[in-house]
Amino acid sequence: MIQFRRILAISLKDIESYYGKPPLITWGLMFPAVLLLSVYVKDPATYLAVAPGIIAMTLLFGNTSMAAIVVTFEKRAGTLQRLLLAPLSMRTIILGKALSASAYGLVSALILTLGLKLVLAMPLADPPIFVAGLMLGAGCFSLLGLTASVMVQEVFEAMTLLNFFRFPILFISGVFMPLSELPHWLKPLALASPLTYVVELLQFGVTGQSEFPTPLIPFSVSLLFLLISWFLTEAMFRRRAHV
Amino acid sequence: MAFAPAIVVSGLSKSFGPFKALNQVNFSVPQGEIFAYLGPNGAGKTTTIRILAGLLKRDAGEISICGVDVAQDPVFVKGKIGVVPDESNLYPELTCRRNLEYLGELYGLHRRARTLKVGDLLSYFDLADREHTPFGALSRGLKRRLTIAAALVHDPQVIFLDEPTSGLDVASARALRELIQTINRQGTTVFLTTHNLYEAEDLSHRVLILIKGQVAASGAPWEIRQQFQGLNLLAVNFSREIDPKPLLQACPAVLKAASENGAWRFEVSETHPALEQILAFAGKGDLEIKEINTVVASLEDAFLSLVEKSPESEAR
Repeated sequence: MIQFRRILAISLKDIESYYGKPPLITWGLMFPAVLLLSVYVKDPATYLAVAPGIIAMTLLFGNTSMAAIVVTFEKRAGTLQRLLLAPLSMRTIILGKALSASAYGLVSALILTLGLKLVLAMPLADPPIFVAGLMLGAGCFSLLGLTASVMVQEVFEAMTLLNFFRFPILFISGVFMPLSELPHWLKPLALASPLTYVVELLQFGVTGQSEFPTPLIPFSVSLLFLLISWFLTEAMFRRRAHV
Repeated sequence: MAFAPAIVVSGLSKSFGPFKALNQVNFSVPQGEIFAYLGPNGAGKTTTIRILAGLLKRDAGEISICGVDVAQDPVFVKGKIGVVPDESNLYPELTCRRNLEYLGELYGLHRRARTLKVGDLLSYFDLADREHTPFGALSRGLKRRLTIAAALVHDPQVIFLDEPTSGLDVASARALRELIQTINRQGTTVFLTTHNLYEAEDLSHRVLILIKGQVAASGAPWEIRQQFQGLNLLAVNFSREIDPKPLLQACPAVLKAASENGAWRFEVSETHPALEQILAFAGKGDLEIKEINTVVASLEDAFLSLVEKSPESEAR
């Protein structure tokens, strides 16, 4: 209970200091909204095929970037040391940081979804699966952002490191092209990408259909990716957070 | 001052690659003491604080803070200590009050206790009128004060102060020294690193001098000074400026000469021959000696003597 209060304190402070700023929320929404509108204007019938992918992309870029920027910035300013000096376990610090980044990603994605529902009457065939996809994606991508942040010293280094991973997976994870239409040789890579399963969960949540026979498969694999990200982040923080 | 030790360190060693930052360091600090940890740059002072505060792993040795090893139970130990790093590092965008409240939350203080404590600290550190000012907008001295206040938000038993007065003006530094003494009088053990040896001598009950990662001397300031009473010093005021080179050549009993504010300080092998030689030098050069005194070695003299005896200095 005490550690839970501290996790919440870290998250609320980060939301107050960084994530809660209106320009940041607007910035996080502008790019995906404009991208979706342009797809809709070109062909209103096809926007539904890419909307879940673009929402997942918003999570991927928003969460990894913000988590990495906040921690790298705090490392530079020396304020991360405040957390390391406090009676907090490494898990509490990671959870506090990941919770605020995830909340930012979730709020951005939910505002985008609400906008699509109100403006373009986007359906939501299975809201619980949709929300589960958002939550698993937000958690996994926030943790990956945190991992990148402790591996480098500067914000631009964190972005460079993340882009090595983000851009390639963007084109193989079913964001712009369904998995079934990918060349055979790319499919194993697509199945190794965490973004693939988040896209499929959101696709199922929106249309009730997915490339997988049941949403249980992308749900379980997303959960597995979340756990892998957690262990990776914890190991990296233990080794490098003090550096 | 005879209490159970607040800090016990034995055989502490730490290397960074081939560089030995700390080599078999031993000391203990009784509760309620101000302990000055001194050394030239790169001696290993900050490394020691980082290890004691649980920020860095040691290679070897035993450490106990308030009876517990920081590596065994870091959360417990971190709850018992407060750390003021050499750079003030609170959250620049948060106000003074919010900074202290946030740290109070991290240290597990409940809302009511937190509000009371933050109010007390802001008043005590004379920052009540700045409670809504962002930390980033404070002057250097006020930032330092708030950083010390932040380290006290959970009433720690031990506080580590890394160069607390560095970069402060004379008045702010003096005010801070008084504050450190008051904090200590209230029962907090103070572990202090400083480059200001007068400050260390003035504030601390005991001193440890660390050179190249090894303990060169430790004890009460007067004990260390006493160890260096063999160090013969003469303070001389001449009627005009002199060149020390001919003096050193003419006076073999004078080993070293240093000038400060027009007064000369000579380290001599034996006092009487040195006095005779200096008087003879002055007589030949038509120099008037306005004042001549033997000097009791200060902590600074002891420190400089130890630093100069270190292997690196001897090689130079």
